[in-house]
Amino acid sequence: MDMSKYKSMFLSEAREHLQKMGTLLVGIESDPQSRSGIDALFREAHSIKGMAASMGYQQTADLGHHLEDYLDHFRQQGEVSVGVIDRLLAGVDLLETLLDDIDADREERSVVSFCTSESPVGKLDQTSPKAARPTPEEVNLQIDLQLLDKVASPAARLLVIVKQLANLGKVLSCEPTEELILRGGEVRRLTAIIKTGLGASEVKSCLENYSEVSRIKVGPPQTKTACGIVSGGATVRVGTDLLDRFISLTGELITNRYMLQSAAGEKDWGALKEGLGGLARLVKDLHHQVLQVRMMPIDSVTGRLPRLARDLARKSDKEIRFELEGTGIELDRAILEELADPLMHMVRNAIDHGIKKQGTVTVRAWRQRDQVMLQVADNGVGMDPVTLRQRAVEKNLISPAQAEVMRDYDALQLVCLPGFSTASQVTDTSGRGVGMDVVKAAVEKLGGVLHIDATPGRGTRFTLKLPLSVAIIKVLLLNIDQKQVAMPITRVLQTLEIDRSQVQTSGKQRVFSLNEELLPLISLRKILGLPVRKAMAQIAVVITEVLGRKIGLVVDGFAGQSEVFIQGLPSPIDRLGGLGGGTILGDGRIVFILDIQGILERRR
Amino acid sequence: MPQRVLIVDDAMFMRNLLRDIFSAADWEIVGEAADGSEALQKYQELRPDLVTMDIVMPLRSGIEALQDIIAADPAAIVIMCSALGQESMVMEAIQNGAKDFIVKPFQQEQVIEVVRRVLG
Repeated sequence: MDMSKYKSMFLSEAREHLQKMGTLLVGIESDPQSRSGIDALFREAHSIKGMAASMGYQQTADLGHHLEDYLDHFRQQGEVSVGVIDRLLAGVDLLETLLDDIDADREERSVVSFCTSESPVGKLDQTSPKAARPTPEEVNLQIDLQLLDKVASPAARLLVIVKQLANLGKVLSCEPTEELILRGGEVRRLTAIIKTGLGASEVKSCLENYSEVSRIKVGPPQTKTACGIVSGGATVRVGTDLLDRFISLTGELITNRYMLQSAAGEKDWGALKEGLGGLARLVKDLHHQVLQVRMMPIDSVTGRLPRLARDLARKSDKEIRFELEGTGIELDRAILEELADPLMHMVRNAIDHGIKKQGTVTVRAWRQRDQVMLQVADNGVGMDPVTLRQRAVEKNLISPAQAEVMRDYDALQLVCLPGFSTASQVTDTSGRGVGMDVVKAAVEKLGGVLHIDATPGRGTRFTLKLPLSVAIIKVLLLNIDQKQVAMPITRVLQTLEIDRSQVQTSGKQRVFSLNEELLPLISLRKILGLPVRKAMAQIAVVITEVLGRKIGLVVDGFAGQSEVFIQGLPSPIDRLGGLGGGTILGDGRIVFILDIQGILERRR
Repeated sequence: MPQRVLIVDDAMFMRNLLRDIFSAADWEIVGEAADGSEALQKYQELRPDLVTMDIVMPLRSGIEALQDIIAADPAAIVIMCSALGQESMVMEAIQNGAKDFIVKPFQQEQVIEVVRRVLG
């Protein structure tokens, strides 16, 4: 049987179990006598053992079994010490690396040394696993056979043989796969790998009972496995009620199509309009449902945070209380993947720099209209805008003049400037190279915004405002030199038209005043290398933020808003900095999404 | 002890042909059924070592009768008899528990080989 298609399902399920175990262990630490916690852990280990055994991943199954026995011991005792939790966490880590081995098609590393190592309660007996251990003589054999040309119903014949192989041992892989054989046709060759205690000659003579077989070869496996198509892609779990809605929507779309076709055929414009109205509604529904498939609860990235917090707290000898709220909130999986590292970094920062000795770190998620808010807050020292301004000036990131006029809100954002993190701030847990600048860039790349607010002495809060989906976003269409380009609405702070007289010059830079702030004016034509236009009486300006500063982007005009589906650009176009994707408008025109930051960064 | 066989086929001449083949190998034909609807009942009555089952039959198809028998006795040994071009039905039968199959027109050696390897 072809196990490769089950591998990715096994891995995602096993990883979920491991994550649960990590969370449970951290929970038990604060409540060591929680019987239900220990029970739950036991069940998780048991599940992992069972799944691994049925997939034939022996080392993983053995380790799962060992942890299961270990936990069983404490189920009876009713209490676990910190040392035991450490050992269990180490076991969970080892299971994770085993899963990585499996994912990379490597052989599972041995767990023998872990299972026989000293445990805080003295040596446990080396457990004899209840799962079947392969007898020392079980080997992998590769079987190649071919059917005679004159054989009738060759596919059926191969199917019978494949079933027979399952009686001789465990079929690890076969080509063509059973699925392919079932499609029938002219399949006459079979290559299979089985794990069996029988010798090669025994297997061969069993297969020689089939006179339809012309050539049989049985021997050690020649090439590495991977027969058939290895599904490397990620999988999604979709609820059946969602699938039911798809089916019924599809039905309605089909009906709608017939309606439109017949209306067009009879040139009945009234009915056509009505049908189009129905189509619009159905498409909107379908869009909504499809997005649901991509939604995953935030818990999938926040799940490992309690464990991280605990480890960091122990390492830096601080007393940290970690709280997680709103983890049932769902977000597009693409967004979640990008958030995993930023979240860990922010939690690290909170524990390393935010809290001196004792404190609480809270990660909260909640919905606000069509956005999801994700917040990392601590009740520690609180960043001080005054100190931040000073440090930025010291590092030559801003001039003293800029520091003087800078508002507190912008001063807090200074931590997101590349180069802000100093050597004195880097601890061995925070590490180098992952600064808040990377976090902010990641958030903005997703079309989100990062807010920072802090009160010295009370704490700091980092709030991420995220769109629900990456694929379909609202954009502002801009006219520029008879073309149109698009900018994500989330990057647009304001649009306005200013009078020519409002433009001032400050040195070489054209600026204008908005709300008592002087903002530089940057011509989009100029940075795109397009011919400069004669100055108009009214100037269209888009206020946006780049590299931590507000600027006014001068364009020819505005062409309204649109909800568009962003497509990634294919190679080699995607290497041009400054483009964040492309989209096709309703009238068929291709419009590129501008990434102003990217364009300006290249100019530096 | 000779093997006991139940033959299920709606055509009398097919049943006779198989009967002749099996007798030549000294196997005992303990019963015959002319349709899938009779098959289960005869199986439970006679408890044969082996059943040969035609795939296409009027009232109850071979696959349905196969399913009946396997449900009643998961260890039952059933061989399907198919005509050329019925490959997908044969594969369906195998997926449903048939151990092997023979293709019409039958040849004596072919039938005996299949039965021998199926009975072990």
